[in-house]
Amino acid sequence: MNAVPRRPVLRALAAAALLLTATACESAVDAQTRSGGASAAPRAGGVAELGVNLDLVPANLFTNSNVSITTVVGLVYDTLVRYDRKSLTPAPRLATEWAATDGGRTLTLTLRQGVKFHTGRAFTSADVKFSLASYTDPKWNGQLASTAKVITAVDTPAPDQVVLHLEHPVGNLFDLLDTVPIIDSATAADIGTGKRFVGTGPFVFDAWRPNTDLRFTRNLDYWGGAPYLDGVHVRVIPDSQSLVAAVKSGQVQLARGVGYRDAESATAGGGVAAIPLEGAELQAYVGVNVTSPGLDDPRVRQAVAYALDKERIVKEVYRDKGYPVSLPWPRTSPAYDPQLDGRYRHDVAKAKALLAEYGRPVPEIPLAYVGNDQVAATTAQIVQNNLAEAGITVQLTPVDSTQFVKQLIGAQFPGLWATNHSWAQFTPSTLTVSAYPFNARRNSSHFSSPAYTAAAENAWQLPSGTGAEATAAYRELSQQLLDGTFLAEIAVVFEQIVVRDTLHGVDWSRRRELDLSKAFLA
Amino acid sequence: MTATLDSAEIPETPDAPEVAVPRRPGTFRRGKGLVGLVLVGLVVAAGLLGPLFVSWDPYQQIPGANLLGPSAAHPLGTDDLNRDILARLLSGIRVDLLISFVAVPVGALIGCAVGAMATVNNTLDIAVQRLFDVLLAFPQLILAIGLAAVLGPGTLSVMIVVVSVEIPIFGRLLRTAVLRVRESPFVTAAQVVGAGKGHVLRVHVLPNSLEPVLVQLALSMSVAVFIEGAMSVLGIGVSPPEPSLGAVLTTSLHYLDLNPLFALGPLAVTAVLVLGFQSIAQAANAARGT
Repeated sequence: MNAVPRRPVLRALAAAALLLTATACESAVDAQTRSGGASAAPRAGGVAELGVNLDLVPANLFTNSNVSITTVVGLVYDTLVRYDRKSLTPAPRLATEWAATDGGRTLTLTLRQGVKFHTGRAFTSADVKFSLASYTDPKWNGQLASTAKVITAVDTPAPDQVVLHLEHPVGNLFDLLDTVPIIDSATAADIGTGKRFVGTGPFVFDAWRPNTDLRFTRNLDYWGGAPYLDGVHVRVIPDSQSLVAAVKSGQVQLARGVGYRDAESATAGGGVAAIPLEGAELQAYVGVNVTSPGLDDPRVRQAVAYALDKERIVKEVYRDKGYPVSLPWPRTSPAYDPQLDGRYRHDVAKAKALLAEYGRPVPEIPLAYVGNDQVAATTAQIVQNNLAEAGITVQLTPVDSTQFVKQLIGAQFPGLWATNHSWAQFTPSTLTVSAYPFNARRNSSHFSSPAYTAAAENAWQLPSGTGAEATAAYRELSQQLLDGTFLAEIAVVFEQIVVRDTLHGVDWSRRRELDLSKAFLA
Repeated sequence: MTATLDSAEIPETPDAPEVAVPRRPGTFRRGKGLVGLVLVGLVVAAGLLGPLFVSWDPYQQIPGANLLGPSAAHPLGTDDLNRDILARLLSGIRVDLLISFVAVPVGALIGCAVGAMATVNNTLDIAVQRLFDVLLAFPQLILAIGLAAVLGPGTLSVMIVVVSVEIPIFGRLLRTAVLRVRESPFVTAAQVVGAGKGHVLRVHVLPNSLEPVLVQLALSMSVAVFIEGAMSVLGIGVSPPEPSLGAVLTTSLHYLDLNPLFALGPLAVTAVLVLGFQSIAQAANAARGT
């Protein structure tokens, strides 16, 4: 018997090890976005069945405030540019080229040709002008309205050319262009009533039956190529157990709004995957009305921040799909600073010491949360328990989700509130000049300070959102957020979508808008 | 002739009153009555005394005890907020008993008062009956959702819903009984000897009209347990972190795959309590001879 040559065997073993390592290194996201592997070749046809736990609120269409809204916007509308999920580098969408001049005060965009709205009308530069102007209308509550208002004039020298003139340079202009949906001026009046949503996106809106479902068919004229799917049917399934059952049984191929524990349960049986929306991070937080008795003192607010057991909330509520933070920035953000981010760790003794320093009894504080949201309800009860340990009594106040958004936008919470925010995954200055909880000019906490406003404006008005100058500005901004403590961050967390293995090619934007333009059933 | 005269002069033995007199003590010493009393008694005892024998506080979030299965330390396990399920179950019984034994009698009292007053005046009667029609037209849960939207969730809201649900039921029941008893010979006799309307109603009619009300009371107490549970499932019941049978059951539904005993506890207690109330109602009804 011949001896087996050692060298070829070692080579084979090394190759196998490399292959295994490479396979293991693939993220769950990559695996899912092309799930099915080589055997799942794109196939045209079929209607994707989706399930969401919250219904559409047309008046809030541009607020990204619930899963139905982000689903509709992702299917129907396009934006001028699109960030990929790993960087803040804009990639072409409806705008193919751009050039900044005049020290960042002018931006000239070249638009994609041959793009049509779902009505058949050609997309032109006038539509960009109309969409940007509409976005600043207060009735839509667009969170980046302050950035949109910096645009003092929009010139349309040609149907495929737009020139934006800015009052001053801003480092987050492409955040705006990534966010503002391009809407059809002829049918824009129907958006608020939910009658029609007309965009240039991969799917055409057919119908919305309130509290029941939404239907879409594919856009054969889509500039990126007609989608594989014939259509998308979105069912509104408010009960979380029914939503999980629907995805387990295959009645829906993708579910949004499934609780973290329920997602674990759904994936246990196989054939279903829970995908964290990486790049579209959310932040769980406790908001603070700084005009509320007791909470008007920064020491009490800091005591709240120290009292929160963030590790426990991440582990038990979010099932480790996130990480605790003191600042809003995800680890991928140019503003992320691990040293500053470590400031408010769970320390009951320190919280008690701050309350002792305050020296007066803190009155009972109401804590609002969305009552029918299991994650919010659980978080609120842990927060209540944490604050009780420190000596702060909290009265839980469950609120309807629509009412909650209204109170958030209107800064109407009387004490504390527990929910998630977004926008920290964009250019950091976007958060502090735009998001309702942070906006330095008017925020949900009624917080204002000249130093915070100056830090926010300074970071915002830098011509570039990255670089050494920007990093220094973000550091000052972070310092102001930590000192002001007008909201107590809990954790950076990821929304999860639960997807059956029959649906492939699911993608999403940084705003959690679903992109099914390349999705298919197999 | 004499016999004829005798028979003419001596009045016949009057007919038995239309309302049968129940033998209540016997009713609850055997059969369904006894079973019902024992079942309700068991739940009441568990609610009142049980928490004294459990070392955990129902609100205590025990570090590291997230969704544990049954063990010696936690016989029914722990919930998603690390709380002992048995402790919460036993405390939750108290909330349901409070709702059953306070809200239902209050609803019954108001309903009976309104129903009795309606029989005194025709115009008032018509107005009250139409009001009851409106209230009864709403399914109980729709009424609960509507009231909770105005009042907000909480134990008090559940109690107000139960009271609102019971008022027309008891009002109409008592009115019907009063109208029936009012035509009895002994009432007519009282009127003939000059008794006033109020006196007749208070002394002769009402005491003899209460039997169906007592049966309904037991039935309504079982319905109150269901209303509390349904409102909790809908998220408009008692406010967290307050425990109740419905609240514990609602939370358990999310974790059936992890710990079936989580749901079994509140389900068993609810079933026993409802069965007890129903048995008592059936026994009381049987004792009326209907």
